[in-house]
Amino acid sequence: MTTTGGLTHDERYAAGIAALGAGPVRTRRFLDGYEPAAAWSALANGRHHADPDHAYQSKALPPLLDKVEAACGENGIAVLIYGRPGYPPALLSDHEAPGVLFSVGDPTVMDRRARVVMVGTRSATPYGLSIAAELGRGLAEAGVVVVAGMARGIATAAHAGALVPAAGAPPVAIIGSALDTAPHGSEAHLRRAVAERGAVLSERAPASAGTPVWCFAVRNRMMAAVADVVVVVECHRQGASLQTVKAAVDRGVAVMAVPGSVRSSASTGCNALLVDGVAPVRDVHDVLALVELVIAGRSDITGPRLPAPRASDRPTEARAPNPLAERALQALDHDPASLDTVVRRTGMTLADVAHALEQLAAVDLAVGAGGWWSRPSR
Amino acid sequence: MLASIPSATLHGVDGRPVAVEVHISGGLPGFTVVGLPDAAIRESRDRVRAAVASSGLEWPRHRITVNLAPSGTRKGGSGLDLPIAMGILVAGGAVPSNVLQDTAFVGELGLDGSLRPVPGIVPLVAALRFGRIIVPAASAADARLVGGHLVRGAANLRELVAALRGAGPWSNVAPVVSDRDISSIGPDLADVRGQAVGRRAVEVAAAGGHHLLLVGPPGSGKTMLATRLPGLLPPLSQREALEVTRIHSAAGTSLVGGALVARPPFRAPHHSATQVALVGGGTAWLRPGEISLAHGGVLFLDELGEFPAVALDMLRQPLEEGVVRIRRARRSVDLPARFLLVGAMNPCPCGEGSVPGSCRCTEAARARYGRRLSAPLLDRFDLALSLGRPDIEDLLGGPPAESSAVVTERVRFVRLMAAKRGVRCNAEIPSPSLEEFTPMSGEAATLLERRMRAGALSARGLHRIRRVARTLADLDDAGPLIGGRQMAEALHLRDASCALSSARPS
Repeated sequence: MTTTGGLTHDERYAAGIAALGAGPVRTRRFLDGYEPAAAWSALANGRHHADPDHAYQSKALPPLLDKVEAACGENGIAVLIYGRPGYPPALLSDHEAPGVLFSVGDPTVMDRRARVVMVGTRSATPYGLSIAAELGRGLAEAGVVVVAGMARGIATAAHAGALVPAAGAPPVAIIGSALDTAPHGSEAHLRRAVAERGAVLSERAPASAGTPVWCFAVRNRMMAAVADVVVVVECHRQGASLQTVKAAVDRGVAVMAVPGSVRSSASTGCNALLVDGVAPVRDVHDVLALVELVIAGRSDITGPRLPAPRASDRPTEARAPNPLAERALQALDHDPASLDTVVRRTGMTLADVAHALEQLAAVDLAVGAGGWWSRPSR
Repeated sequence: MLASIPSATLHGVDGRPVAVEVHISGGLPGFTVVGLPDAAIRESRDRVRAAVASSGLEWPRHRITVNLAPSGTRKGGSGLDLPIAMGILVAGGAVPSNVLQDTAFVGELGLDGSLRPVPGIVPLVAALRFGRIIVPAASAADARLVGGHLVRGAANLRELVAALRGAGPWSNVAPVVSDRDISSIGPDLADVRGQAVGRRAVEVAAAGGHHLLLVGPPGSGKTMLATRLPGLLPPLSQREALEVTRIHSAAGTSLVGGALVARPPFRAPHHSATQVALVGGGTAWLRPGEISLAHGGVLFLDELGEFPAVALDMLRQPLEEGVVRIRRARRSVDLPARFLLVGAMNPCPCGEGSVPGSCRCTEAARARYGRRLSAPLLDRFDLALSLGRPDIEDLLGGPPAESSAVVTERVRFVRLMAAKRGVRCNAEIPSPSLEEFTPMSGEAATLLERRMRAGALSARGLHRIRRVARTLADLDDAGPLIGGRQMAEALHLRDASCALSSARPS
C-alpha cells in the first residue's frame, strides 16, 4: 500500500517511530518484535513494553506521520528498516545498529566493496586538507568506498578528493543532522554530488527540530560500524574524531593515523594515536595494504585495485624563478608560517616577500591561506 | 517696552541665528516663553529671574512675553539665558537700549548671575555677524577662534551690565595659545617591537588614508598599532582644523586652551556605544556622533566583532560619502564624517583561529562570529591583515624599530604626491581616474586576475587594491607604473579579508 509521500505502509510507521526523537537504542527496541504499524499503535495506546512510563504516547499522533512522510517525499528520502530488504548489510551484525535509517542516493554502493572511514578535525591545516583530498582520491580510484561525515575540514576534503576520479568507487556520507536540513554554501554542492554518485545516510528523522549534540556522537558510532578501516587524518588531542576511533576499537576495526608536525596542535590527536601503536599512513598505499589484509578471505567483497606506485608521476622539482624567490622558499617549511615570520626569516622587505611568494605560488612551490604560508604538501 | 536681542542656537554642527524678542506689558505679573523652546529653555525662566535678582538689578513687575524668532523651528540648549536676561533688562528699562547697538549675546546663567560656558560656542559665534559678540569669559578664548576681536567675555551679569553702561571694565580674555605643538602626537611607533607587517600596514594606512582591519589573537598588539596611527598622520590644514574644531565644539567636547584642533583626532568608542552615539542625532539640536568627532582623523573600533551588527552597517554610507545625512521628521542635518576607520578583532571567539589548525571553537560559534561583520563592510577595508603574537626575541631586545618621525616623513611625501593628483589621499582617487593614475604592468595585472579568478576579490575590492598599490608605489617612489612587487604587497596586506569571509557560511 503506497500513500501520498511515496512510502509503503511499514516505512511510514517506521519513519514515524524514528521521528519520536528517542535515542537509537530505544528506537530499535520499539521495533523489536513488532511490525512498524503495530509498534506505533502500541505506543499511541500506551501499551508498548519499551515505553513503560508512556513518555512517547503523547508524541505518537497521526499528524507526525504525515509530516515525516511529506518531508521524505519532498526531499527524495528513502526509509530503511532494520532487517528488511534494502537495509545496509554492513550494519546488520552491529550490536548498536540503528532501527531505522534514512538515505538519499543509493546505499547499496557500500555492498561488495571495501569501506574506509576518513575522520578528522574541522579546523584543519592546509597540510591536513591536502592529505585528506589525496587519500580520498587514491582510495576512490582503487575502488574503495570513502565514508566521511560531511563536516567542514577533513571530512569535506576527503569527499571532494573521492569525487575526482570519474570511474572510481562512489563515496558515502553519514551525517548527524536530518537529511532535510539545508546544508550551507559549498557543503550543499558537495552533499548533492555525493548523493548523486553514492549515498548520504542519516539516523535523524526528517522534519525533526534541530540537531542535538548526541546525534553527532551516534553518527560517529555508525561510521565505525560500517568501516573496514578507519583513517584519522588530523585531529586535536580531545577531538570528536576520537569518538569514532573508540567505537572502532570496541568493534575490532583497524585504525590508522596520518602523522603530523609535533608543533601542530591539529595533529596532537593523531600523533598520540601513533604513540599508542596505531598504524601510520604515509600515502594511499599504506591504507590499501591494510584494507587488503582486513578483507583477505572474504568472498563478499571485491578487493581494491592497487594503483601503480605514485613515485614516478610526481612532478619534477620546480625551481624558484629568481634568487629572491629562492630565499623566500628557503624560509618556508611544511608548518604554515605567518607573513611576519617569513619577513623575519628572510630579512627581506614586505614587498619583496609578497612578490616572491606570489611567484612561488604561481609555480606551486608555496601555498597560502589567509596570510599563512607553507610549502605544498606534495 | 519692546527689545530684540540677537543670539544663536545650535543645529548639528552649525549655528542658526535667533532673535530673542521681549515684550513687557501691563497686566498680572507673569513670564512666558514662546517660539518652540525645549525643556532647557523653559527652565531658563527660573534661572534668569534668579540671576537678575542676585545681580541687584530690577525685575519688571509686569507681564513678560519672550518670543524666539523664527518661531517655527525648534530651539534647544541653555545658551539663550543671557540674551533673554538682556532683553528683559532692556525692555524693563534697567539698561538703556542704545548701549546694545549691534551686539549679540550667547551664554548660560547661574542663579548667582555668573555666566557659564555653553557647548558649541565656535559654530554659534561663527553664525553671528555683529559688531560685538558677548560670551561667557570661560568660552571667550574658543569664541575668538572664529569671532576674533569682536568677541567680549564677561564673568557675570553685574559686571556685564556695568561694562555695557561704560561704568566698568571688560573682563580680560586669555590670549589664544598657539596650536598645540607637534610633540603631543601620542605614543611612538618605535615602541612596537617585531610586527614588521603590522607596522608597514599602519604606515600605508596613514600614507594613503586606507581603512585598516587588524585581526589577531589577544596580545598580538592590535590596539598598540592602532593608537600609533594618528601620530603618523600629517597635521590638519587650517581649513580642516577649523571644521574639526567646530564639530568638537558643537559636541561639547572640551577644546584645549582655546586652540584649534590641529592634530587629527583619535576616537575609540567602546563597543557598547549606541547607534545614535556613533552616527549622531538624538538631542534637540542633533549632536554629532563619534564618526563626526573622528572627522579628519581616526575612528578606532576595538573588538569590532562585539559591536552590534546594525551599528556597524550604519557606517557604510558615511564611509563612502564622507558625510552622514541624518534625517528626522522635524529636522535634518548633514554632518561631516570623513574618517580613517581602523577595526580590530579576534579571528574567532576563542581568539586562536588565525593560526591554521589551532581554533577550538565549534562550527556554530565560528559562523555566528563570522556573521557579525557583513560582507559589504568587510569589503570596505582596503587593508586587512592577520597578526600573530610577536616573536619572543623581538620582544626582549631585537633591533630598535623606526620611530614615528621617520615614518611621518614618508607619509608626508605620499600625501604630496596625492595632492598633485588633486585628491587629499590616494584612497580618495575616484574610480574613473584609476586607469589614469594607477596604470599596471603586465605582471601586476596577471596577479590581480589570478586573485579574481580564485573568487577572492570583488569589483569594489579590485578598486581598493589598486589604490593601495598606488600608495605603495608612492612610498617606494617607484614612478607612475604599478609593478608586480607593489601589487603583490597590496594583495598580501588584504589577506585576512578573505580568511574572515571564508569563516562565514555563504
